[in-house]
Amino acid sequence: MISSDVIRGYNDTIILYLLLGGESYGYEISKNIKELSEEKYIMKETTLYSAFDRLEKNGYIESFYGDETFGKRRTYYRITPKGQAYYKEKCEEWELTKDVINRFIKEWNV
Amino acid sequence: METIKSYLDNMFAGLPKTARVLDLKGNILSNMEEKYYELKNQGKSENEAIGIVISEFGNIDELVTELGIRQDEQAANEPVVTREEVEAYLSIKKSMGQQIGIGVFLCILAAAMLILLSSALEVIPGISEAAADAPGIIALLVLVTIAVGIFIYSGMKFEQYKYMEKGVQLPTYLEVELKQRYDQYNPVFYLHLIIGVGILILSPISLFVSSLFGDRAENYGVVILMFLVACSVYLFISSGTVRESYSRLLKLGDYSEQEKHKKEDKVIGAVAAIVWPLATAVFLFCGFVYGLWHIAWIVFPITGILFGMFSAAYSIITDKN
Repeated sequence: MISSDVIRGYNDTIILYLLLGGESYGYEISKNIKELSEEKYIMKETTLYSAFDRLEKNGYIESFYGDETFGKRRTYYRITPKGQAYYKEKCEEWELTKDVINRFIKEWNV
Repeated sequence: METIKSYLDNMFAGLPKTARVLDLKGNILSNMEEKYYELKNQGKSENEAIGIVISEFGNIDELVTELGIRQDEQAANEPVVTREEVEAYLSIKKSMGQQIGIGVFLCILAAAMLILLSSALEVIPGISEAAADAPGIIALLVLVTIAVGIFIYSGMKFEQYKYMEKGVQLPTYLEVELKQRYDQYNPVFYLHLIIGVGILILSPISLFVSSLFGDRAENYGVVILMFLVACSVYLFISSGTVRESYSRLLKLGDYSEQEKHKKEDKVIGAVAAIVWPLATAVFLFCGFVYGLWHIAWIVFPITGILFGMFSAAYSIITDKN
């Protein structure tokens, strides 16, 4: 399990990646994160919804109400073109980060 | 499932109940619900499922800082109450309203009994004035004693729920439900108010009608008038208390955050604490010393009107400041 401190800067990237595959809602996104990371990363509810709020404020995603299920309106999210551009930026940033950090990572043969 | 709901209620208890926050809370709740049902379907036990869902909630402070929500400092310090507490408080308030209503009813009835008995006994030939008054005075004292007993009893019963009136937080689902019940109760309250006011306005008719039957019958008219007043006072107190209990919990009207800081209640309350016992003292003094029982009761309506004028004027003056 990865600590949330390490991954903090990339929560937005993870969510945007999942929205690239089509609009989705809170639980589906958090379930997909869990599955794709093979349960090594579980995003907390508060982290997820803080991210939605931040992404929406920046215009990277849009929210809308979906059809009623079980008598409840579900909030769906979709990525905007601005969000796609931001995602690309973040991918490049990650490549660079990975490259830099890797230079300081030593292989330990225990 | 209830555990998750109340967990979330507690987490959000200190946050302002704006549409945005409530929306967010609703989203998180349905998220947690879905997670919970899926875990159950995977064969997890109730406790395991709840444990996992709650452990994956995260940290409420993260939301607070991210959303720039200003925490309601004062509200955060208020205790969150359960449904059981609220129901117990409402039912004790309801019976308290009825008991105080009956107590006040008995007090007014006591004065009426005095007039009734003394004017009934006056006609007995050869009876002294003191002997004619005695049964009425005894009846008055007995009824007032019973009323005081009721006041003390209901005050004692209420003691343990006093904290409910010092400001508490309701879980959202309870707040919504109470608001509905308050709205449902309002027509009942206004109906009682209208009936009570109607009785009050029509009550002097008993005086005119009785005066048609001569001077002596006029006293009985007063008795009927006082009985009618007592009935309407009972209606005001009993239904007013029920409404007040909802208003207090929901922090509406006089019990809203803004109104709470006004001092006028204290001043008006202090004046009431002096004026009413004083009126009673005048009533008893005129009765016992000058034997004016048949007219001394007029002290109460006069005090009522003057006191009403004072508190209305006081409210208007302090409002302007």
